[in-house]
Amino acid sequence: MLDGNRGPLPAIAERASVMADLFEPLFWYITAWTTAGFLLVCALLTWCCIAYRRKPGRISTPRILGSHRLELFWTVTPLLVFLTFYAWGVYVYDKAVHPPADAPEVYVIGKQWMWKAQYPNGQRVIIGGNPKNMTEEDRQNIGALVLPLNRPVKVTFISEDVIHDFGVPAFRQKIDVIPGRYVSTWYQPTKLGEFHVFCDQYCGAWHSLMVGKIKVVPAAEFDAFLEGKGGAQGSPNPVDGSLAHKGLQHFQRLECNTCHIPNAAIGTGRHARAPNLEGLYGRDVPIKGGITIRADDQYLRDAIVNPGKHIVEGWERAMPGNYGTQVSEEDLNALIAYIKWLRPGTQLGPNNNSVAPYGAPRQTPETNKSPGGKQ
Amino acid sequence: MSIVIGDTPRTAPPPPEPETPRRNYLNETSGFWSWALTVDHKRIGILYLVSITAFFLVGGIAAGLVRANLLTPNGAILTEDQYNKAFTAHGVVMLFLFLIPSIPAVFGNFLVPLMIGAKDLAFPRLNLASWYVFMIGAAFMVWGLLSGGIDTGWTLYPPYSSRYSHASVAPGVFGVFITGFSSIMTGLNIMVTVHKMRAPGMTWGRLPLFIWAMYATSFIQLLGTPVVAITLLLLLVERLAGVGIFDPSIGGDPVLYQHLFWFYSHPAVYIMIVPGMGVVSEVLTCFSRKNIFGYKAVAWSSVGIAVVGFLVWAHHMFVAGISYYSALLFSFLTMLVAVPSAIKVFNWVATLYRGSITFQAPMMFTLAFLVLFTVGGVTGMFLATMGTDIHLHDTYFVVAHFHFVMVGGMVLAYLAGIHFWWPKMTGRMYSDFWSKTSATVIFVGFFFTFVPQFVLGYHGMPRRYPNYPEEFQVYNVLSTAGASILGVGYLMPAVYLTLSLFFGPKASANPWSATGLEWQVPSPPTVFNFEYLPITVCGPYEYAIGVDQMGRGLPEPPGAGDDNPATRVGATLLPGPQPKETEVVG
Repeated sequence: MLDGNRGPLPAIAERASVMADLFEPLFWYITAWTTAGFLLVCALLTWCCIAYRRKPGRISTPRILGSHRLELFWTVTPLLVFLTFYAWGVYVYDKAVHPPADAPEVYVIGKQWMWKAQYPNGQRVIIGGNPKNMTEEDRQNIGALVLPLNRPVKVTFISEDVIHDFGVPAFRQKIDVIPGRYVSTWYQPTKLGEFHVFCDQYCGAWHSLMVGKIKVVPAAEFDAFLEGKGGAQGSPNPVDGSLAHKGLQHFQRLECNTCHIPNAAIGTGRHARAPNLEGLYGRDVPIKGGITIRADDQYLRDAIVNPGKHIVEGWERAMPGNYGTQVSEEDLNALIAYIKWLRPGTQLGPNNNSVAPYGAPRQTPETNKSPGGKQ
Repeated sequence: MSIVIGDTPRTAPPPPEPETPRRNYLNETSGFWSWALTVDHKRIGILYLVSITAFFLVGGIAAGLVRANLLTPNGAILTEDQYNKAFTAHGVVMLFLFLIPSIPAVFGNFLVPLMIGAKDLAFPRLNLASWYVFMIGAAFMVWGLLSGGIDTGWTLYPPYSSRYSHASVAPGVFGVFITGFSSIMTGLNIMVTVHKMRAPGMTWGRLPLFIWAMYATSFIQLLGTPVVAITLLLLLVERLAGVGIFDPSIGGDPVLYQHLFWFYSHPAVYIMIVPGMGVVSEVLTCFSRKNIFGYKAVAWSSVGIAVVGFLVWAHHMFVAGISYYSALLFSFLTMLVAVPSAIKVFNWVATLYRGSITFQAPMMFTLAFLVLFTVGGVTGMFLATMGTDIHLHDTYFVVAHFHFVMVGGMVLAYLAGIHFWWPKMTGRMYSDFWSKTSATVIFVGFFFTFVPQFVLGYHGMPRRYPNYPEEFQVYNVLSTAGASILGVGYLMPAVYLTLSLFFGPKASANPWSATGLEWQVPSPPTVFNFEYLPITVCGPYEYAIGVDQMGRGLPEPPGAGDDNPATRVGATLLPGPQPKETEVVG
């Protein structure tokens, strides 16, 4: 199971992030009120049960039907107290669900029964899971999710299969990881060390083994790690290009660039059959039917795996609908990272230096093992 | 200063103890078919009682397996797969086959006509059909549990339940779907009965609070259950026919399922607690010899819970991918729904004020209810508050919270009800000593079982984990130890109540000196309940004046016979109506 016995549980659970510091005062504030309320009820009950127990010779009781004033009192008082819980709770929740704009982004993918992380610079790590259930390569890559001390990091999640939940008790944070949809949260660790990651949403046979580790390192070490130096995550760390670069390779392999050709190619006799993707990310896209959608991660993902969902104004549906079965969630993250990176004039058209498309004849037959490719 | 004045009852001398008739609903007819084809609401109540007791045993065994397995960090006795099936069996059986039918189907059936002065429910055949439908649904569920088990958790979230699980989800889901109809039938029956069949004088303002609670519950059953039925049907369509409804890989939306599921299943927790609140109001007034404090507040808070309870479902989903603004709204509405429960607790406590309290088993269970339900209620605030729910969601904190409400609340109220109405249902009294002991043992065992789980949840131990970090072991062992005590506590009533059927002393018509109409008929009642048309002349809890709802005096209250005869002097001990002014407090 998980490493290390950390001894008996402390009175106040380990705090290791900004959110944990926001959680604790609120938790103990509610604890104080509710304990007081509970003790009040218990005290009144005990007092009544002792003082008004049936005594010989005194069984006659007064006819008391109620009191509007008391009803009002114990309706309004709890409500006001509850509303302070509400207001404080909103404040904490608001912080938890809105990542700072400038935080670097890490992708985490949940699947039965492991967590996979991808960093913008291409590092990939298995945060944890059930080793019996992994490929040999994944088993080699089991490590920890590396996060920098005192610096916010945005984490975007998606699931490959069922609903999972990425819970980090020491950070007092939790988020359901849903198939087909990106959800984001953010962490700003305040303590060095290793912390539990639990899958908190029941996900099948080895749900309880879908656990992993977060490792918080000093910011400088984190920067070095992102540059490909040092093995902070505790697993082999082959950085073979950034996520966007991997995305470019997929883009070429999947032959996206035969239809989504760059502006530069227009007028060279080539005909664009699909919208230009340069500078697309973050723009408002007019959709047939008169609506506009902000081109964010979710939009791009939907446009790749379910192209018929939204057709861009001025274009016809031409894209094959089977990319969802060809592209893994990890590859989608790479593709989206590439499309995010595309600025006007930066997209390469198809040329002789492109990565060969899936199914293209290779020089040596044994290298032709592209996963999910059209065979 | 506001003064609340109730009905001024017309009074009459206490009735003579009615002669126990030779024939009652239990011995009027006999043989298998007399039970299998009965349309007597009391016999159907007994059928439900026997069935759900069996299911409680099944669910309890599953709980025992779960707790035993959690003794060690890597699972003491079960594999992961077996553990998943055990906790799912525990949840499905306890919720759908015990808690939802518990008070509504057992006491609702048995008592609603008796309490409002009717001969039966409005639709006796529908009532019998509801039991058969329930048993058919239960058979499907048991089939699912035996033919490979269900490993999805009782919440059945897709796409796991619709696509990835290899267990026998379909029969189990179909069983839940079917039992839903039984719940609708019971709710409809009770609602119509309360509307149309009240005896003369039984106005809405004189209804016992148990009837108000049952009425509010029926409202939830009628409006909520169809939604879960549709949801489960959609789930089955997706699982069996592959139509994309909830699974995103075929075009569905998994969060949609959660909305639909909780739209029923949150109100369903009120199906499980509001009837218990009704029982508490009955028992508390009787054993403190007081009018209920704030009748209208207690009655309308039941209705308030039923209505607002429909608007809070998404508080189960604060971290499940709902929008920020809907989370804000649902947290706010959840704060509102907590208020009626608080109102009830304060009114119950105020009812004890200046009472003459005795501590027979029904009262012991009710006092335990008050303490445990209060814990369950206040710990709900941590989960209604979004900032704390982010961490506590799906941990043992939630498990402990809802067990305090469902078990500490509903099961104890159910046991209070069983002990309160047992003499009426069976005509026998049970052991005073053992029943009090059982209430104490259950209360202590319960605390030991679930308080450690709050600590575990606060430290982040997730639900549904057979493997857990070693630092959590101490609290899990404590919890399992408590569960063993709780198990012993549950077995005790099974023994002494069964023994009472054969060896218990015969019960009088009104052994607790209670005011409700159900106590004005013999124990056990005759087939058609009332030999005459009961005319209600006053509200339900005129203990201070000492009259029942028909305006007749009450017999001596329980425990009075224990007094030293030397001290039994003075008018205060005379049974029967006592002229008394309404007093005002606050």
